[in-house]
Amino acid sequence: MNTLIYTACLGLFGLLAEIFNLRKYLIPILVLGLAVIFSLNLQTWNNPQTHFNGMLSDSNFSTAFSGLALFIMLIILILSGDFYTSTDDEKHISDYMAILMFTLCGALMMFSFSNMAMLFLGIETLSISLYVMAGSRRFEVKSNEAGFKYFLMGSFASAFLLFGIALVFGVTGTFSIDGIGNYMRMHADKLDPLFIVGMLLMIFAMLFKVSAAPFHFWAPDVYEGAPSLITALMSTLVKIAAFAAFYRLLSTCFVFALGKAEIVLTVSCAATLLVGNLVALVQDNFKRLLAYSGISHAGYMLLAIISLQGRTDSALFLYSVGYAVASLAAFAIAITVFKATGTESISGFNGLAKKNPLLAASLTMAMLSLAGIPPFAGFFGKYFIFSEAFRNGWQNMVFVAIISSIIGVFYYMKVIVAMYSKPANEFEIKPTFAYQMVIAVCLIISIVLGLYPGVFTKLL
Amino acid sequence: MGISQIIFYMLAAFTLLSALFVVFSKNPIYSVLWLILCFFSIAGHFVMLNAQFLAVVHIIVYSGAIMVLFLFTVMLLNLNSETEPHKPTLLKFAAVLSGGALFLIIIAAVRSTMPAPYVAPQLSEVGYVKNIGMKLYRDYTLPFEVASILFLSAMIGSVVLAKKERFN
Repeated sequence: MNTLIYTACLGLFGLLAEIFNLRKYLIPILVLGLAVIFSLNLQTWNNPQTHFNGMLSDSNFSTAFSGLALFIMLIILILSGDFYTSTDDEKHISDYMAILMFTLCGALMMFSFSNMAMLFLGIETLSISLYVMAGSRRFEVKSNEAGFKYFLMGSFASAFLLFGIALVFGVTGTFSIDGIGNYMRMHADKLDPLFIVGMLLMIFAMLFKVSAAPFHFWAPDVYEGAPSLITALMSTLVKIAAFAAFYRLLSTCFVFALGKAEIVLTVSCAATLLVGNLVALVQDNFKRLLAYSGISHAGYMLLAIISLQGRTDSALFLYSVGYAVASLAAFAIAITVFKATGTESISGFNGLAKKNPLLAASLTMAMLSLAGIPPFAGFFGKYFIFSEAFRNGWQNMVFVAIISSIIGVFYYMKVIVAMYSKPANEFEIKPTFAYQMVIAVCLIISIVLGLYPGVFTKLL
Repeated sequence: MGISQIIFYMLAAFTLLSALFVVFSKNPIYSVLWLILCFFSIAGHFVMLNAQFLAVVHIIVYSGAIMVLFLFTVMLLNLNSETEPHKPTLLKFAAVLSGGALFLIIIAAVRSTMPAPYVAPQLSEVGYVKNIGMKLYRDYTLPFEVASILFLSAMIGSVVLAKKERFN
């Protein structure tokens, strides 16, 4: 709760900075502020509380994910200093920063909501801020397309979510997730058909938000068109926030209805895994590649949610952390390469190993972590999910997931092969100091988590 | 059949008819005008349900503000049936199929739903501003305040995207 208030204040500060001419110091101040909020957020650990008549409730789950969200935003802010350098960007920097802070507010609401009103507001705050950020390169057609497409598709999904919430409210007479959970407990054997329709509509909307197949069509276009830094934000923070909200929804309100929705979720999970990994094989654009990789990662996280028993939240958290740090490192390197070469295709990485071996090695590590190869965090995230799912009797799905992650290795290798065995291009590629720091920190976290996954597996 | 039932059926028929006309009108301006009528009849339903404040807000916000915006947009874009791009038959077929399936499922669900699963208390003052205000500022304080973050973000966003500046 307090985390949310402080973050909103930080956003307001970003707006006021424009008036007081603090534009130059804005990013350092925001980074500092987020670091302070990060440490304050830890105080809610083991201190579950409900706020404002059961609108928000702090729990260890929300604290852990809020911490992760704050960390991701911190990294994005550090990266943004060297990303927004054109005059048009500099003019708008305080607006951008304020919108990013409000995006974070939306994510924080999605981690700790305990009322449907808060869920909807959280999702909308997150999405509307992102529609703007995706289209924030106003003079680029691709960015306009991304913003507009995301806006149209996203508002359609929000309408489904709202309709679902309305139907569920019509049956249960409450917006509170505990109230809906109680209703389900009492009527578990004879559920109202209207309730099931409402629940399915909400599940569809959430599947859209996490970009699971068959609702994934927006993701590659939006990821490609949006400014690279915003793509990094979308593929980490937004995906994780949507998954945390989805998990919260399924584990509280709809836990007794999972039998009805199981088939939908299972089919969607298998389709997401296969589509994401197979289509990624033929991509040439690095951002599109990461978009499809993000879709396939959504599949693994869906698998964690379906086999929802006992330790799903820690499996989800471990996976999210591993995925987030690897993606952030990959994007930090990619932004550097895009800027130097002026192209976003994989050919921009050709011969990187000869020009900057350290950077190439870093990208290799990030890619291997995304592919799920030990000793990186990505491997243990996957291993944990697969073993849990296997133990809970989802052998077939685990089989599909293993096949698709083997397919996945191929397209991650494509980038690595381009760096090590293709002839080099003439551009000089050297990341700035902030980028070097971010890449180092992310990869260190990834390796440490890969060596000691026990830190997080027993956390929640 | 009491007087309120007769009014309900008339309103319902009118809502459905005007909604159908929104879809089937060739001219987008007519569509928007029919949509305004549709909103008015929905406001009538709100009055029937003792939600007077909601009815008034619905008329002011939807029929007033949003529909005027719609009209302006339609007029500015100068949409008419000639300039409208022709959609592929397959797409039309898929849209009709999926929309129809959703419609069918919801009809079936409503038909087989248990009688009166939740009965709202029928107090005549329930829709007064005072009572809504009490609810809004006591139970729903947080969503009410948090909505301001959403609007602020949307406002900054529209300024960022739409402010006219020279390309440099």
